Amino acid sequence: MARKSKKRYAMVLDSRKCIDCKACLIACKAENDVPLGVFRNRINVEKAGEYPKLRMSFEPEQCHHCENPSCVRVCPTGASYQREDGIVLVNYDDCIGCKYCIIACPYDARYHNPETHTVGKCTFCAHRVDRGELPACVETCPSKVRVFGDMNDPKSEIHQLLASRRHQVLNPQTGNGPHLYYLL
Amino acid sequence: MREPVWEFLIVNYLFLGGLSAGLFFVSALATWLQEDGQPAYPQIARWGALLAPWPVSLGSFLLIFDLGKPFRFWKLFITFKWQSPMSIGSWLLVLFTLLTLANLWAWLEPAERTGLLNRLPAKLLGRIPSRVVAWLEHDFTFWRRELAMAGFPLAVGVGIYTGVLLGAVQARPFWNTNLVAQMFLFSALSTGTATLILVRLFAKKQPVALAEMRFLYTLDICLILIEFFIVLPYLIHGKLSVLAVQEALGQILGGPFTFAFWVLFLGIGLLAPLLIELYEFKPVLLGTGPLHIRTRWATSAAGLVILGGYVLRYVFVFAGQASSIR
Repeated sequence: MARKSKKRYAMVLDSRKCIDCKACLIACKAENDVPLGVFRNRINVEKAGEYPKLRMSFEPEQCHHCENPSCVRVCPTGASYQREDGIVLVNYDDCIGCKYCIIACPYDARYHNPETHTVGKCTFCAHRVDRGELPACVETCPSKVRVFGDMNDPKSEIHQLLASRRHQVLNPQTGNGPHLYYLL
Repeated sequence: MREPVWEFLIVNYLFLGGLSAGLFFVSALATWLQEDGQPAYPQIARWGALLAPWPVSLGSFLLIFDLGKPFRFWKLFITFKWQSPMSIGSWLLVLFTLLTLANLWAWLEPAERTGLLNRLPAKLLGRIPSRVVAWLEHDFTFWRRELAMAGFPLAVGVGIYTGVLLGAVQARPFWNTNLVAQMFLFSALSTGTATLILVRLFAKKQPVALAEMRFLYTLDICLILIEFFIVLPYLIHGKLSVLAVQEALGQILGGPFTFAFWVLFLGIGLLAPLLIELYEFKPVLLGTGPLHIRTRWATSAAGLVILGGYVLRYVFVFAGQASSIR
């Protein structure tokens, strides 16, 4: 890949640490002024087994900030775009609200904002990241599920985790090259 | 399963856009086929030309109305992104609509044209340079065939793009096959043909010529058959595909859209009109006599084709959005 020397922001998630407290959802809403009824992140709950042998697992998910995002490809006005550092954003001034990207996203990460009538999504808190801070969901997570950083920086925690721990991405068959990594 | 974000406005638009594409295509075909240097089926050509611009115009209006920000629709036309079917489609729509309007003008009689121009408010007409007015009034008959030729790719483009719009989304396995685009195209052409059958039956001023009906019937039977043999492999391949596609297809194989797909679309909207039209066409096929048109049957067949075209789009828009690869 051509961007080797550049920054590439990504997130590592250790789902087993997640306790479904939903602090990340609330922190995101507060930080990004997300309207009622829609969310930029979620926790997928999976229940399995039969009483008394039950299992429940929590898997936080949001925009995967894909390497080849379908949302950016289908956007007719170029409002959806990808930054040099890999973060996928929407330029709200150019969004006409056609909702094609919502349909095209294989991870169902986008929503129609009922107040602005444009499309909203997780930004990895780009405004905070640009100030050198962490995304709100990462900062708030009490059980330290989330690690955010530049995966191309060998000194970063995320780089070391990905180098040393087994991990997977969700639905790699999309061909989108998702950048949320789940530790196994 | 998520809530659909594209709803009936989009269903209507996909139907209306396709209908215009079909109307223009049939009209252009009737113009292009010549007999003694004249269009072979002038009434069909004229009616198709007169009707073609309106469904697509209404559809485009609905499309804009469906946007979260309708007043920003112009942003579509300061960009062109070849990877986005919607970007290609919006340009196609504009070019096609303009061409159908030009074609409409070319198919108006000189008196009708003068009449229309005279209806413009005098203030407005006074502003238009007389050279332009004179040019608009002159005879465009010889342009009809050129416009038909130029319009073929645009009409096929508009007809097929509605399917590509859905099919080019890998996240929705119900759509993401290489058959949806063709299905929409042939369904669109068929609804256009059926509309012209209806119009020819009910436009009392010019009595129906048997040759015209035979042309429309031949075309519609071919189009329905092609559509049927696209739907069939769509179902078979889908059922034999990976799990995500099988699950997506479950929506029409026992799921919430089963009735709409099998009864309203495939049964009433595709096979029933095919059988009616074949029955009326039988004397021609067997060489025992001319086409036998019964107005009631022909009307039902054409009406059912149009219904089928609409239901097809309804099923695909909603079932597609409910499908997912996860």
